[in-house]
Amino acid sequence: MELQPQVRMMPRKKSLRAAAAVLVAVGATACAHTPPPGLARGKEIYATCVPCHGADGAGNQELGAPNIAGLPKWYVQAELLKFQTRQRGVNAFDTIGLRMRAMSRTLNLPGDVESVAEYVATLPRNPVPTTVKANPMAGKATYQTCVACHGATARGTKTVGAPPLYDQADWYLLRQLHQFKKGWRGTDPRDITGGTMRPMTFSLDENAMANVVAYIQTLK
Amino acid sequence: MLHGLIPEASSFAGNIDWLIFLVLVLVGFWFIVAEGVFFWLIFRFRSRPGHKGQYLTGHEKHVERWIKIPHALVLICDVIIIIGAVHVWYIVKMHLPPADYTVRVTGQQWDWVFQQPGADGKLDTKDDIYTTDSLHVEVNKTYHFLLESRDVIHDFSVPVFRLKQDAVPGRTITGWFRPTETGTFDIQCAKLCGIGHGVMVGSMVVETPAQHAAWVAKNTPTSAQ
Repeated sequence: MELQPQVRMMPRKKSLRAAAAVLVAVGATACAHTPPPGLARGKEIYATCVPCHGADGAGNQELGAPNIAGLPKWYVQAELLKFQTRQRGVNAFDTIGLRMRAMSRTLNLPGDVESVAEYVATLPRNPVPTTVKANPMAGKATYQTCVACHGATARGTKTVGAPPLYDQADWYLLRQLHQFKKGWRGTDPRDITGGTMRPMTFSLDENAMANVVAYIQTLK
Repeated sequence: MLHGLIPEASSFAGNIDWLIFLVLVLVGFWFIVAEGVFFWLIFRFRSRPGHKGQYLTGHEKHVERWIKIPHALVLICDVIIIIGAVHVWYIVKMHLPPADYTVRVTGQQWDWVFQQPGADGKLDTKDDIYTTDSLHVEVNKTYHFLLESRDVIHDFSVPVFRLKQDAVPGRTITGWFRPTETGTFDIQCAKLCGIGHGVMVGSMVVETPAQHAAWVAKNTPTSAQ
């Protein structure tokens, strides 16, 4: 009962200051909850990737989501930036690319792209099953064209922006070859690496694509 | 009215706003009256020394009046709102004015894809223009839209047009709009459609006839010309 008169007599300015202090404290706590750019932030962001790519980054063929675990940071970062800047995933018929481009928009804080790319690079590589039945020996000859950028063992070359292919799902590689050939990928003039890859597919028919993908699977 | 908060940029936006205003005025009036009477009764019949509480069955005539008269008046207001709603529903949803152009709007997780006529002005021909993110239309022309979905239920929402229509997988839903103001306006998905729902946005670009003709000429596929 003694407290009541004291509360009532609290000056208005003082109560306003107290309310402001509480608001600032709540706001500061909310801001502090977002980790700074880096691995912790990348792990936090990756929760939005899990529905399609899985917690282990192994991907999901039904959703068209590739195996991304262990991909180099520079490659993941470069591709996310392409999605964000409409260099990739803009074709009206590219249902899967459109979906990924939309998700790239959620990386809207400075450092988000780098952070999630860093986290993806730390995920242990996953074994990928063979789903494309073709002739790897026939594909070996075709693959010689790819060696200059992707390397003889398909480990990729950072200096030319060529990603590793050896542990990527074969169905995904095959789909990308189709997409490059159809012009769904690699047509934006800003996409230098995509623009380099696209002409490489012009001479490949359906069988040649399947064979080269089958050969890449032997390089695991 | 709402125009000060968000532009009315389609021919039927004013009708929708008028209906919202009608509901606001009638419901708002009864809300204020009901709350006023409620608090007045609490004050008027508050506990006071020397006054005993009364037991009322509700059948007394002077008490019944307090229910019957407002009840009848509220019902009249309901009828007015229903008449207004049916009138606007007919204008927006049941009436399909002849189209100047037809476009196809397709929702997918989590993007809008637009198919619009090329230089020939007809849909489903070789010179159709496909875009993602933005739909370019001409001011003061009537558009029919064929709304489809590639995966789950989406909702094609253009707030400045006061337009909202579900896109249902397996169905093609026809609707219409007639832009009345030039500018670039938001397109949203108004149905929770998955983890990327919040970024499923687009732009409605309403252009003058000259601007639109230039855009169509520039974007019509060269192979079809």
